[in-house]
Amino acid sequence: MSETQPTVTFRGRGFVPATKRWAPWLAFVLIIAAWEFASDTGLLPSLFMPSPHEVLLALYSLLVDGKLFVHIGASLQRIVGGWLLGSFAGLCFGFAMGIFVLARSVGLPVVAALFPIPKIALLPLFILWFGIGEPSKIATIALGVFFPTVVSTYSAVDNVPRNLIRMAQSFGLSTPAIVWKVILPGAMPGILSGFRISSSIALILVVAAEMIGTQVGIGAFVLAAGNLMQTDQLVAGVVLLSLLGLTISWLLGIAEKTLLRWR
Amino acid sequence: MLSRRLLLAAFAALLLSPFAAPFAASAQPKDKVAISALPFISTAPVFIAKERGYFDAEGIDLDIKIFNAAQAVAVAVASNDADFGITAFTGGFFNLAGKGALKVVAAQSREEPGYNFVAYVASKKAYDAGFRSPKDFAGKSVAITTVGSSFHYNLGMLADKYGFKLDAVQMKPVQSIPNMMAALSGGQVDATILPANNALKLEADGAGKIIGWVHEHTPWQLGVLFASSKIVKEKRPLVERFVWAYQKGLADYAAAFLAKDSQGNRMIGEKALALMPVLEKWVQPKPSIDTVKIAANYMDPQGRLLVKNIYDQLAWYQAQGLVDKSVKAGDFLDLSFVKGHLDLPKK
Amino acid sequence: MQVVLDGVGYAYGDLPVLDGVSFSVAEGETAALIGPSGCGKSTLLNLVGGLLQQQVGRVSTPGAPPAGCLNPLTFVFQDFALLPWRSVAGNVALALEHHGLGRKEREGRINEVLTLCGLADFADALPRQLSGGMRQRVGIARAIAVKPAVLLMDEPLSALDAQTRELLMEDLVAIWARERTTTLYVTHNLSEAVRLADKVVVLSRRPGRIKRVVEVPVPVFERHKLDHAAALQALQDELWGLIKTEAQVADREVQDV
Repeated sequence: MSETQPTVTFRGRGFVPATKRWAPWLAFVLIIAAWEFASDTGLLPSLFMPSPHEVLLALYSLLVDGKLFVHIGASLQRIVGGWLLGSFAGLCFGFAMGIFVLARSVGLPVVAALFPIPKIALLPLFILWFGIGEPSKIATIALGVFFPTVVSTYSAVDNVPRNLIRMAQSFGLSTPAIVWKVILPGAMPGILSGFRISSSIALILVVAAEMIGTQVGIGAFVLAAGNLMQTDQLVAGVVLLSLLGLTISWLLGIAEKTLLRWR
Repeated sequence: MLSRRLLLAAFAALLLSPFAAPFAASAQPKDKVAISALPFISTAPVFIAKERGYFDAEGIDLDIKIFNAAQAVAVAVASNDADFGITAFTGGFFNLAGKGALKVVAAQSREEPGYNFVAYVASKKAYDAGFRSPKDFAGKSVAITTVGSSFHYNLGMLADKYGFKLDAVQMKPVQSIPNMMAALSGGQVDATILPANNALKLEADGAGKIIGWVHEHTPWQLGVLFASSKIVKEKRPLVERFVWAYQKGLADYAAAFLAKDSQGNRMIGEKALALMPVLEKWVQPKPSIDTVKIAANYMDPQGRLLVKNIYDQLAWYQAQGLVDKSVKAGDFLDLSFVKGHLDLPKK
Repeated sequence: MQVVLDGVGYAYGDLPVLDGVSFSVAEGETAALIGPSGCGKSTLLNLVGGLLQQQVGRVSTPGAPPAGCLNPLTFVFQDFALLPWRSVAGNVALALEHHGLGRKEREGRINEVLTLCGLADFADALPRQLSGGMRQRVGIARAIAVKPAVLLMDEPLSALDAQTRELLMEDLVAIWARERTTTLYVTHNLSEAVRLADKVVVLSRRPGRIKRVVEVPVPVFERHKLDHAAALQALQDELWGLIKTEAQVADREVQDV
């Protein structure tokens, strides 16, 4: 038996939930390089897809004539305005539903009925109610943001550990104090992850909202580029939207790190 | 009933097939050709030529693919889903043509003096406040479909002709003609620019006032028949035959709908009535003789283009930054299929 | 302040959990409440603490609370119930903030109880940074910061490991030596009961009825002495004899509540 004393072999390789930091950048660079190559050699005709450097040129010319900031500014105003409005209303309703039995009983079925409505379909109605100016655009975004915020806030409040609330009651805290000191911070992780969803919804809806009655804004720019078959500008606009989305999620990441340091 | 009729037809086809086969074999095999088009009266020459057999006579088996936006018509040709297309010029059209995918071969509609087609419409409120002339568009808000649409260009021509700044017009893109009408009747804009039937409807409803017609101010080449660059390059004789058939359709259309009496009024007579079934078959929404009387727009009976205007249009779109500077009109115009084009630019 | 229960009963819907429970805890006395699981110990504590609506019988608290008492009936929870986003000092502050104390007095009280519970160095730490024992010390510090008349302790040591439990029991005895607060102490651990309580109230299986009230003959501060070890062990065995059969039945029961 002496010759059969094998050393134990390592068999726990792989399946590690880790990521390599450089990998996504490399993939990005490779994809863009392949894209540029395909465009330059004519494999990908510019009629169907602009090349990366054409997209960069389109972005550059936007930057040079100053329209870039006009478009971003107009869109940001609508996104931020609509998002703030929708989030504030959503937080109020979500909290009410999480705390009061009556609000929950009424709110849950109403939200369930209205949530799935595609807000874009309501745009013509908003135009009748609010005109073709800014209010209808902000209302579209606000409504799109409102429902997911209600749902995420409600479930975040609902998930605040009951024992913390009972503890606060046992020390004689008033209801407003419990909401402010226990429920709000306890629901904050859920609310913030709800913000991640609602901010990307706001970004999607700004394109729809800018279909009507405006010439400025990234959404209007993308739509006009589509109508004009200016594919380089179209892709440039899409790149801008994606950068805007990345910026927003980066900011939310910072907010999470600051507000949820205790986790 | 229907199924019985179908059965009968199938039975008849079966019976006739032995006789039909040698008959078909004796004829030339037809070229299959597809055209993308809008279901509008402006496509009528194609519908007429198809229904009256002018394409068949040229040995062309034509498939008409109906789209709902000018853009889609041009894209279908650029992507080789159709060999020909017939629609209005737009900024998007020039950008596609600039990529070398399309060649313009003949004319479709144009704004011709004496023929009402597209109107400037003021809202009731703006009209009452003194907005009576297309010269006064500066400072007004105007609903258009999209940036780079023909409505946008109409305003651009007015601005050039009457010396106001286009920037002074607040353009509101609202995507569709129904939205433009709604924006005007809802009082959200001071004016809009609409095809005759829509303009007259708004005026009849009391929501707006027609303050002028485009042909009175800025005649221009609205639409064209175009072909994919591929077919022009590879099957030139087929394109020639196609244009001949199209011209026959144009001639019938002009005779039926564009004739005028001695006082200069449009005459809609026997020939027009004879063509109504063709229009009823193809045009959406289904037209009546009254709507046709209003909406039948001018087309050159021989398909000749206002060539200089096309150069002007392109230059205007390029000046607005809506079309790439590298696009050249000469590259997408093929003037060899129709003789005697009008208003050629001086070299 | 005393705690007096008179014929207290309670039912969750159709399920009776307490029936005719009467006993009292004298001023400064510690009563341990033991019984098989599901006998309504926690329900009883919540009734006394006012977290459950009384149904049958009466719970009363004769006598005046001590001077400076902010929250007469104060809980210490099994799962600590600390706010994870507040520091140790912040968690203690939560119990004081709404009482309109001056900033100075509040900070004074916080420092006092943190020192008393051996937390002075951890004032700014977050709960997640602390061991289970330290967390429960925060829970205890928070409770005594309000100078309670009655401490209601709901299995305060059962989430801790055996060694930590020993340490905390010593701390509790030391704190009681100072404060002499009336205490109702729910536990299923008999050695805890015998070690800490002046008297042990034994409840029967559901619906919980009082089976016996046993006085512990040795003063709390002397129980660690070896002389008493045999007597205390005998008492613990006696208590186990009282609840063993029922604990076995409870263990085999299928839970559907």
